[in-house]
Amino acid sequence: MSGETRTAYAFLAPGLVLFAVYRLYPLLEGLRLSFTNARLGRAAHQWVGLANYARLLEDDRFHVSLWNTAFYTVASTLPILAVPLALALALNRGRLRNLLRSVFFFPFTLSVVTVGLTWLWLLDPVVGPFNYYLRALGIPARSWLADPATAMWAIIGTTVWWVTGYYLVIYLAGLQDIPRDLYEAAALDGASSARAFWAITLPLLRPVLLFVVVTHVIGSFQLFGQVFVLTGGGPGDATRTVVQHLYEAAFQNFFQFGAASAMAWVLFAIIMVFSGLQFRLLRGNPEY
Amino acid sequence: MTRSFDRQRLALTAALLVLALLWLAPIAWVVVTSLKPTETIVRVPPEWIPWPATAAHYHEVLLGSSRTARVGRAFLNSLVVATGSVLLVLATSAAAAYPLARMRFPGRDLVFTVVVGSLMIPNAVLLVPQYVLTQQLGWLSTYQGLIVPEAAMLFAFGVFLLRQFFLTMPRELEDAARIDGAGPFQVFTRIIVPLSQPVLAALAIFAFRSAWNDFLWPLIAVNRPEMFPLPVALALLRGAYSADSYGPIMAGAALSALPLLVVFVVANRRIIEGVRLSGLKG
Repeated sequence: MSGETRTAYAFLAPGLVLFAVYRLYPLLEGLRLSFTNARLGRAAHQWVGLANYARLLEDDRFHVSLWNTAFYTVASTLPILAVPLALALALNRGRLRNLLRSVFFFPFTLSVVTVGLTWLWLLDPVVGPFNYYLRALGIPARSWLADPATAMWAIIGTTVWWVTGYYLVIYLAGLQDIPRDLYEAAALDGASSARAFWAITLPLLRPVLLFVVVTHVIGSFQLFGQVFVLTGGGPGDATRTVVQHLYEAAFQNFFQFGAASAMAWVLFAIIMVFSGLQFRLLRGNPEY
Repeated sequence: MTRSFDRQRLALTAALLVLALLWLAPIAWVVVTSLKPTETIVRVPPEWIPWPATAAHYHEVLLGSSRTARVGRAFLNSLVVATGSVLLVLATSAAAAYPLARMRFPGRDLVFTVVVGSLMIPNAVLLVPQYVLTQQLGWLSTYQGLIVPEAAMLFAFGVFLLRQFFLTMPRELEDAARIDGAGPFQVFTRIIVPLSQPVLAALAIFAFRSAWNDFLWPLIAVNRPEMFPLPVALALLRGAYSADSYGPIMAGAALSALPLLVVFVVANRRIIEGVRLSGLKG
């Protein structure tokens, strides 16, 4: 081993140990556990092959959780793409850009629990201000979080409020990277600003859009905190998510580590497929 | 023509200002609620000026009765965990990023690919095996049981970010130091680290936010109430007060926002820069 190699690995060692022990090993250990009947406190567990996966095929609550999670992911993607983008376009080059960017970003510094508690209080069906102002606008009050028709939408709204600022900053950075003379040239050619948006802004933002969608989808499939605080998965199972189901199987009811690991890997596979599809759809270098 | 253009701009700015106020309203409502005496909290129509104001809820949550005595302690727990995670991730990822940016050695590309590739691993997938591992180490309900996994999670992003930055640094200073007889460790601590302060600060803030706000892992890995970090303590506070009053809960929520609010006001540009860098490369 050359001197430089030794030095390099000496620098790398602490980080690689940390990484190997708490990232790589758990990844593989989780896959192994998913083929066993491991439980909390059961020292000796057996290999059960695909039994955990087979049981998931019959687990109706898992299917509901999966459906809810997929619904949340799909339904929230458009607002998560569009709201921060619209804000970024409005803020870009404006005089109040930096101030307003900070305002919209601020909720993102809060923890999911703080965000959840905030909206729990705002959406309180009886004394919450949200319903009061809606009533003032002539919209009837509702128990947004207790109604299966609206509970998931309330969670989506809460999440949009929480993360918009993060994506706004990313979009603004992306917009700054688009050469300005492209717009000047388009204006000289008589292109309207709407036309410039579709022909210049959107195509050149494609890598940024890809980042936003992939980040959002990976996060969405792991939806947990908002639901835990706002609805507990209810009403009924209307907002129950995969991670909640996994959490309860592993840490609440029967401490079924094997079964929960199988859920985790099904979730992992779904996330990989979705991310792969998005790379396919949105990849490719834009042409100037 | 320019006139109507100006008017359009003005209307847009006004609309944005209104939207910004609405965006902050939920946070204002939390603070307002936390300052109201219990009897006035649930009044309809909503009152936005908490007068007469009271600090009773803060007092209760931080120092008061047994059911909330944990929030003051939880605040300290979160500070320890977040600070520890920041220090650990800064040290390990800076040390790892340096050879990845500056040295030639077998396995370099493989190491970098595996580390950066791990950014795609959803944390929820690691939950159960991480728990089993932490239990085997005897780290459940300990600070290291929260700090080490958090730092491990942030490590890959830190390496990615810092390596990128190191690659853009001019090599002349390092070469000069080496001619003066400095070894790689001195070059790293005396030249690389001091010159990287802005990006290290951005990473520190990013890591602090992540560790301060993490919820799911501590919910599982801590089962002794005196070791709860803030998000877990707050989530359970909700249960303790659900029928009573939003006052103490909102006081806890406001307190939980405080450290990052301070960081945010002091180092706004660093935060924005850190986020921007996190989206770098797509």
